[in-house]
Amino acid sequence: MATVTENQSMNDANDRDPFNNNSYGTLVDDGYKMVKLPVLDVTDFNERIIRGYEDGTAEKELPADLSVARSIVPAGTATLRDFSYVAPEIPEYINDNCTGCMDCVTLCPDTAILGKVVGEEDYAKRLAKIENKEDRELFDRFAWSEPTKYYAGPKKKTGEGGKFSIIIDPSKCKGCAECVTVCDDDALRMVQKTDDLMTDIKKVHRIFKEFGPSDDKFISDKLLIDMMLKEQTHIYVGGAGSCAGCGEGTALRMMCSATGAKHGSDWGIIAATGCNTVYTSTYPYNPYLVPWSNSLFENAPAFAMGLRMRWDQMGWAEKPIWCIGGDGAMFDIGFQSLSRMLASGMNIKVLVLDTQVYSNTGGQASTSTYMGQNTKMSVHGKALGGKQERRKEIAQIAMMHPRTYVAQTTCAHVNHFYRSCIEALEFDGPALVCCYTTCQPEHGVADNMATDQAKLSVDTRAFPLLIYDPRKGDTIRERLSLQGNPAVNDDWWVNPKTGEQVDFIDFCRSEGRFGKHFDKDGNPSETLNRAKQERLENWKQLQELAGLFDKNRTAAKPVAKPVAASGNGLPKGFKSGSKIKYNDGSSWVTGVVESVEPVRLSLDDGSRMEVSGEILREAVAVGIVTLQS
Amino acid sequence: MMTSDKEPIASFNYIPGGLEDVLEFLKRTRSELRELRKARVWPDRVQIYDVNSDYFEIAGLGYPDQDITPLLTAIGTTFKPEFIHNPINAPYKEFKTGRRHPWAEDRIL
Repeated sequence: MATVTENQSMNDANDRDPFNNNSYGTLVDDGYKMVKLPVLDVTDFNERIIRGYEDGTAEKELPADLSVARSIVPAGTATLRDFSYVAPEIPEYINDNCTGCMDCVTLCPDTAILGKVVGEEDYAKRLAKIENKEDRELFDRFAWSEPTKYYAGPKKKTGEGGKFSIIIDPSKCKGCAECVTVCDDDALRMVQKTDDLMTDIKKVHRIFKEFGPSDDKFISDKLLIDMMLKEQTHIYVGGAGSCAGCGEGTALRMMCSATGAKHGSDWGIIAATGCNTVYTSTYPYNPYLVPWSNSLFENAPAFAMGLRMRWDQMGWAEKPIWCIGGDGAMFDIGFQSLSRMLASGMNIKVLVLDTQVYSNTGGQASTSTYMGQNTKMSVHGKALGGKQERRKEIAQIAMMHPRTYVAQTTCAHVNHFYRSCIEALEFDGPALVCCYTTCQPEHGVADNMATDQAKLSVDTRAFPLLIYDPRKGDTIRERLSLQGNPAVNDDWWVNPKTGEQVDFIDFCRSEGRFGKHFDKDGNPSETLNRAKQERLENWKQLQELAGLFDKNRTAAKPVAKPVAASGNGLPKGFKSGSKIKYNDGSSWVTGVVESVEPVRLSLDDGSRMEVSGEILREAVAVGIVTLQS
Repeated sequence: MMTSDKEPIASFNYIPGGLEDVLEFLKRTRSELRELRKARVWPDRVQIYDVNSDYFEIAGLGYPDQDITPLLTAIGTTFKPEFIHNPINAPYKEFKTGRRHPWAEDRIL
């Protein structure tokens, strides 16, 4: 157990961190990540600059010397950051209920929930080394379980079972409750932080790190979800400044794990400006244990090309390079750079964190934004119901580049995500992995909803899963797989529990960013109905490309062209007194716009209709109502 | 998430026409629950669950009742209004509750 000493290192117990929870190493203790650079003294940086930021004196007391002025940050400094004060609640592990599924460990955005598996014989030996009896009992009682997956199964086969542990890192947890939400077994619950509880949690976390690594014989390489039981996969340490529950953080962690499992920390990242660069390089905190750099919003793929050439010259052709960016960087501002890189055939992997909005700058529309989405540059109002353009599909565009591996995936589909990253790394050429990621404040969903919403985006065809692997054959249908999507041969998925069709409108109902499209009775707007049709068209296009399209089925009806509203909210040219024609399904009936507020149509067959301006615009768009010529 | 056979941590008896009283009850006791997770709607009662599977129960208000719609809307539940009152071949209907207002949604730039 660590003890407080004078002149403590930031990587040891100190007055501010008496149990040394903010220390290098994720599952086991480690030292600073040293580098041989004449311009960076890692020890000085961590002991002087990090200390200044942690105790709040940096702004006034740190001199603008060469070290500070260069803005170079050593690897993994975010691990020295303390977030234990940001949330009022923290998860509590209920070990008797745990099945060892690893969902909580995998889907935590902050590397704050950690797993370990140790053989029972080794466990007893390691436990006996804990000198303090109370600490030993505390650790044994609250941190370990014997799930069938690690205990009964292996015990039956080999005679020895594995003890499994889940630990909360109190200095990195932001209290989002994502882990509790994804747990299907009631093995986690949120509890109020108290001084006594936090002392126990800090103490248990410290013992956990000193307890040694997992025993590899209980970790199956075939089970990708067990990846994070190994220290070498924790390339993205806790302490990044992302929002609580951030979907991007999980995607970055999982990509780093998939890459770290094979390449350790022997690879690099070029990041395009965006949320991801802000929360992973808020000076002086860096969560990556691999070399990382950022230049501009628009040039990350070009930057990666330069780095690839240099690394190849140095004989580092086997070291992967990931190029990371949001939809703003990859769909919009850096699109030409991305296209150039994909066309180059160079061995660079791209991870797109697709939040469908410029999250970092406050929620402006990008070309990835869904039709109807309410954003700062497509504000929902009387004239227009949010964004009116269709969403650009970066995956389909990337597929049309020469010999490029492409995947569209989400963190909620863990195996699909890992497989996408692993295959991208194995592919000898450019690869693009586009990942759906929630932005809680911009999407209007709760902090614990990243996984739920990512899953729903796939179930509702908002964001279909796909893998396009040029190695699979010569035709698109041979290369493209839609495996992983529900009801892959149908238009929409029908929930077997309710018998109800699940479509894009249902996705929209669940998120605040589409909230203004529903009237008081819950009816969707005309724009949203068009958006649903647009998503169906996209899905059918993918089905056709994948060879799933049944020629006997009718193609998706094209999306009706939106009708512009005039100042009175009616379709252009419509006003009180306008003579109209209405198609009742069998014939045209003439009539007149009787009034504008409310919109009332009086037909010559004696019927009258009161509708909203939006519904009238939709009726005009699909040709049910028209002006008399 | 598994839902154990717990007792509700708070309950309220709905009287037809008493929607305001239900909403007032929820407002008053909301802090007893953590992040809301789902609503389970039975023919004769509603249960509102948080991430810990703790829940409130409102007795006397079920999916056949008209007042179920504004109640579910008030707690950010995702459901289809056109089907909410329909009977089903299961003991209850279940809906998630994760919708929030986006950041600065009314700000015009």
